[in-house]
Amino acid sequence: MSAHPDLSRRAFFMTLPAVTAGLAVPAMAAEPAGPHWAMLVDTRRCIACQACTIGCAMENASPEGRFRTVVATYAVTTETGQAGLAVVPRLCNHCEQPPCIPVCPVGATFKRKDGIVVVDGERCVGCAYCVQACPYDARFINHRTGKADKCTFCSHRVEAGLLPACVETCVGGARIFGDINNPDSEISRQLKAAEGKTRVLKPEAGTKPRVYYIGLEEQLSGRVDGASAANMMWQPGHQGA
Amino acid sequence: MNTTVEVLGFASELSWQLWAVQYFFLIGISTAAFFLSLPGMVWRLPQWRGVSRRALLVALVCGLTAPVALLADLHQPGRFLNFYLHSNFGSWMAWGAYFIPLYLLGLLLYAWLSLRPLMAALAERGERPAAFYRTLAYGGHDNIGAIRAAAIVAALGAVLVLLYTGMETMVVRARPLWHTPLLPVLLAVTAFAGGLGMTGLFEALAGKTRSAPLLNRWQELSQWASLATLSAWTVLVLTGSSAAANETLGAMRGSSGWLLTIAALFATTVLALWLSRTRRDALIAPALLALLGAWLVRWVIFLGGQSIPKLGATSHAYFLSLTADNLLSIMGTAGLCLALYIALTSLVPWDDPAEARGDQS
Ligand code: SF4
Ligand code: SF4
Repeated sequence: MSAHPDLSRRAFFMTLPAVTAGLAVPAMAAEPAGPHWAMLVDTRRCIACQACTIGCAMENASPEGRFRTVVATYAVTTETGQAGLAVVPRLCNHCEQPPCIPVCPVGATFKRKDGIVVVDGERCVGCAYCVQACPYDARFINHRTGKADKCTFCSHRVEAGLLPACVETCVGGARIFGDINNPDSEISRQLKAAEGKTRVLKPEAGTKPRVYYIGLEEQLSGRVDGASAANMMWQPGHQGA
Repeated sequence: MNTTVEVLGFASELSWQLWAVQYFFLIGISTAAFFLSLPGMVWRLPQWRGVSRRALLVALVCGLTAPVALLADLHQPGRFLNFYLHSNFGSWMAWGAYFIPLYLLGLLLYAWLSLRPLMAALAERGERPAAFYRTLAYGGHDNIGAIRAAAIVAALGAVLVLLYTGMETMVVRARPLWHTPLLPVLLAVTAFAGGLGMTGLFEALAGKTRSAPLLNRWQELSQWASLATLSAWTVLVLTGSSAAANETLGAMRGSSGWLLTIAALFATTVLALWLSRTRRDALIAPALLALLGAWLVRWVIFLGGQSIPKLGATSHAYFLSLTADNLLSIMGTAGLCLALYIALTSLVPWDDPAEARGDQS
């Protein structure tokens, strides 16, 4: 796969007949479990170009200064004095044990059968309790809608048989999206191949993320002890402050 | 890895703003003031008579303002009915939607039952508007049984409000400053300091300085309790064996802003303790310091707690910047408190000597 980033897309399309069949005959009890969507991020292939950040913002009309996915970028100096760039593409982890769900006072946020964690915009009161509870800063309040906002794995695109916008726009093919219930999917095969070498963010939070990483340094998988250049930079809405 | 610099980080905004601080501050003071009203209004202890009545006024003013601040912190305030239509009882916040009305209805009933004899006395004396007082008095009986029953409802509501506000924040594992079992205790203890402070301030506004020694005795106790809980909370947050403690320590280490904030918190508490201990006759200074301490605790916990990054190294600035929304939350809640204070003190003369008749029964 490594030389053919497009394979993730091809593999995805191969699952479509199963998806559509699943949608067409939902009542068949004996039907095998439907898809369970997940993402594998190969940080070795990420060049920190932020094409995914922009692609997502365009697709999902994110409000200014707020992002559903970002690529946090670090300048790292090793003990031997070698300097390099490290990246952590971040998005909602569509956790298996998502702390954002039980806190919602009105049950507006839930996990779908296909593993995608979503917000019911009709019900959300904008209390931001889920924003507090998410250990990954993956949620924010969209001030334009007054509701909780987060990555949906582009569920509207997935339902239409397309890949999430960030996967589609990734220049390096670092994001592999697919069905982990299907052992033949690209993501399942890659996860199997990298067994023991993948990581998730903040495993100690016990959330069982469904976004996996290859090539992620442990030191960058949570709060990072280090300086931040961001406070010196221009921030939308805070210029001149 | 030797050194790491986050060259491109993404600070998320603080999603609970000053409105939330104001809510937790006011509702805490209201519940504490309600409990301070019991010795004079229910147990009829003579030395508490005036103070307890003033405390009831504090409970009403702050209790009626607090939900407005809470609604203002919602980004969809018009949808508050969803709290009742789609309650998720696995969430402490959902319970809060029931505990707040329980407390406020209990408090209003208790206040009305306690004030009825006074209303009747005013109507009898022909105080204007007599008809209004007569209607409100509804016979004017001093029914201690009913007052006790209403006080029990309000007390249950107050305990539940204190419990849910503490638990709601304590359960958030992702916020290391919140996720400690001492947080509900710290909020409750400092709420009492604030409640005593606000009662003292209202007494001073009414020119009643005789209650200062009584209030300062209790203020001293509550400041000792605040100091002990605050110290235990700081020690637990910074030295606990949990990953959360390490995260907090990591984020605070070398941050002069944090050191200053923690120092200010302790300094305010120690100063309030010292003043209430050594100046038994002073009302305003210990009261203001106690209020400042109770507010600072909430400011540090709620806003400072949100400033510690969950991922990466970019911390979120939480210093009190006077944005339009921050100004509105401070001015708005202060203005509403003032309006309620004026309305309630104009309608009910809280020091009318006629009250004595009812109280001696
Ligand atoms: S990453 Fe955050 S928002 Fe996404 S499912 Fe997990 S807890 Fe919820
Ligand atoms: S912001 Fe919306 S989705 Fe999040 S907890 Fe509140 S009501 Fe639920």
